[in-house]
Amino acid sequence: MSARHNQRGLSAQDLEAILAVTSKLAAPFDLRTMLTEVMSAAKQVLGAEGGSVWLYDAVTDELLLEVATGIEPIRVPAGTGLVGACARNRRVINVPDCYSDPRFNPEVDRRSGFRTRCMLTLPLVDHKDVLVGVMQVLNKTGGVFDRDDEDLAIALAAQCAVALQRVKMTEALIEGEKLRQELEMARIVQQSTLPSSMPEVAGYDVFGTFQPAGLTGGDTFDLANLEQGLLVVLADATGHGIAPALSVTQMQAMLRIAFRLGASLETAFTQVNNQLAATLPPDRFITAFIGLLDAPQHRLRFHSGGQGPILHYRAATGECVRHKPTSFPLAAMPVTTLRPAVTIELAPGDLVLLLSDGIYEYRSADGDEFGEGRVSEMARRHHGLPMQEFSAHLLAEVKAFARGAPQEDDMTVVLLKREAGRAREHRMIPRQIGQISAIFDFTAEFFGLHAIDRRLLGTVDLALEELFTNMVKYSPETEAAVRIDLVAVDGGIEVSLTDTGVEPFDVTRAPEVDINAPIDQRRPGGLGLHLVRRLVDHIGYEYEKESRQSRITFRKTIAGPPAGAH
Amino acid sequence: MLAIGFGSEGGVVVAGRFDAAQCPAAQAFLDKVEGTVTLDCSGLEYISSAGLGVLLKTQKRLLAKSGKLRLAGVNRHILDIFQYSGFDQIFEIEPAR
Repeated sequence: MSARHNQRGLSAQDLEAILAVTSKLAAPFDLRTMLTEVMSAAKQVLGAEGGSVWLYDAVTDELLLEVATGIEPIRVPAGTGLVGACARNRRVINVPDCYSDPRFNPEVDRRSGFRTRCMLTLPLVDHKDVLVGVMQVLNKTGGVFDRDDEDLAIALAAQCAVALQRVKMTEALIEGEKLRQELEMARIVQQSTLPSSMPEVAGYDVFGTFQPAGLTGGDTFDLANLEQGLLVVLADATGHGIAPALSVTQMQAMLRIAFRLGASLETAFTQVNNQLAATLPPDRFITAFIGLLDAPQHRLRFHSGGQGPILHYRAATGECVRHKPTSFPLAAMPVTTLRPAVTIELAPGDLVLLLSDGIYEYRSADGDEFGEGRVSEMARRHHGLPMQEFSAHLLAEVKAFARGAPQEDDMTVVLLKREAGRAREHRMIPRQIGQISAIFDFTAEFFGLHAIDRRLLGTVDLALEELFTNMVKYSPETEAAVRIDLVAVDGGIEVSLTDTGVEPFDVTRAPEVDINAPIDQRRPGGLGLHLVRRLVDHIGYEYEKESRQSRITFRKTIAGPPAGAH
Repeated sequence: MLAIGFGSEGGVVVAGRFDAAQCPAAQAFLDKVEGTVTLDCSGLEYISSAGLGVLLKTQKRLLAKSGKLRLAGVNRHILDIFQYSGFDQIFEIEPAR
């Protein structure tokens, strides 16, 4: 016990008062009520006439005194005046005669009309040693504050600090929750404008999906059948939070209206850009692909304001053609002259891939970007899939690539595929060995047009050549051309060769050759059929007596034997 | 189409598609080579049994005179064809790297 406690000490009455205050402070007040409660508790326990609580703003290193609702608080830099000194030193300052202390600021008295005689200034420090604020207690009834009052005030201040800190944290949480709810609302608005179902377009498979990142990003897409054709939009507004989500929503609504009013692609692009340039804040812009698909003509005309790359997978070559944007991002500045729109001609099996940079720029745990190469490779490998499955596959691939790295931006996928169809074509090939190149031209073209996996081409050509040359060599009595039918099937191709006016010869029953025979016993004969049987998935033979027709049918798919499929 | 001719280092270079229609020209060319001959196949895209027949006939002729035909730069697809026909046991093959 220190000597000063001999004067009075904390009486049971004092303790009771503090405990009563403490239990009162545990109630869930808002900050303003809590400040009033703290002050009235201090006045009551210490027998003071008045007081105030300054809150510490760690961001600006200032102390704030809330005077009244609606009036800007008084701000004092921590370190100046009595409150400032208390905040810095975290010590009680007991001033028995304020007007004789140079640190005292009489300005507050002058404004309030209150005359401060004596004052206790106490730091409010919570249990984690964080400075919450400074409490000032004024004018001890009938005298000045003594050492016992100081001790009492310190005990009280500790309780007040904890209570205030709790309220501040609660309010910060509530603020955060409000912000979260507002963002959530913006997200709902943003998502409500997305197509609820995919439009039906004859001969096409179209799909779009949007995967929002946590609370940021401003992607959108649109797919809608309009008079001008299928509207295809993918857009990404800059920035994070509510604003971009609302910007893209606004842009999308403007586009829909422009097109519904009969605007051309050029007019819609220019007018929407100019309107956005006039209304969006100067630092905002939207990258946007805006296209119209003329499905019967298989043409996709587009303008792209800074949105790219635009990938066109061509089934005929198995490669992706890359298109660049035609203009700067929307809203960056008014468009005065617009370059001509770009037209993509879609052949059967072709794909257009529009992906937001949230996919291209997704960073893995190692810091690598997902990038364009992986997307092109996926198009090459999986163009045969329905677009919805392709999209799921792509997003799964991104996730696998990320290896746990979080999604930092919205990811949006818009895919357009011209159906390859279950195409069937045939050619009549004259029975001459020299016609083999005509067969190869036919298969190469068919593979391209109908998006058949090109790795199967070598085997199909080989089988066709072997079967065709057999027909030419072993049925010299006829001059009829050989009919070759090619049919696209799931994962590959079915081929048939029809030879008319010939004797039956069942290739599936031809004797096996001994491929391990020594060289002097090897003959080329029979080897061709051996290879065909070895390399194709299935081979069948039919003979029709009346027309003396032989038909060989074989199938080669990616699911079949791997040999030769390179 | 098939291109066949002498390479810069005395070997024979074959490129393109070795199908039945190309065999007479290829056979005529290979009938003239002697000794141990390396056939650079790095440009060979395709071969059918007819093409294999041309190579077999050439190999038999050269072996009879203590020569041989070696194949170099053979791609995966062509190698498969050689393996499925047992021709990998008849020729010394150096696959493409």
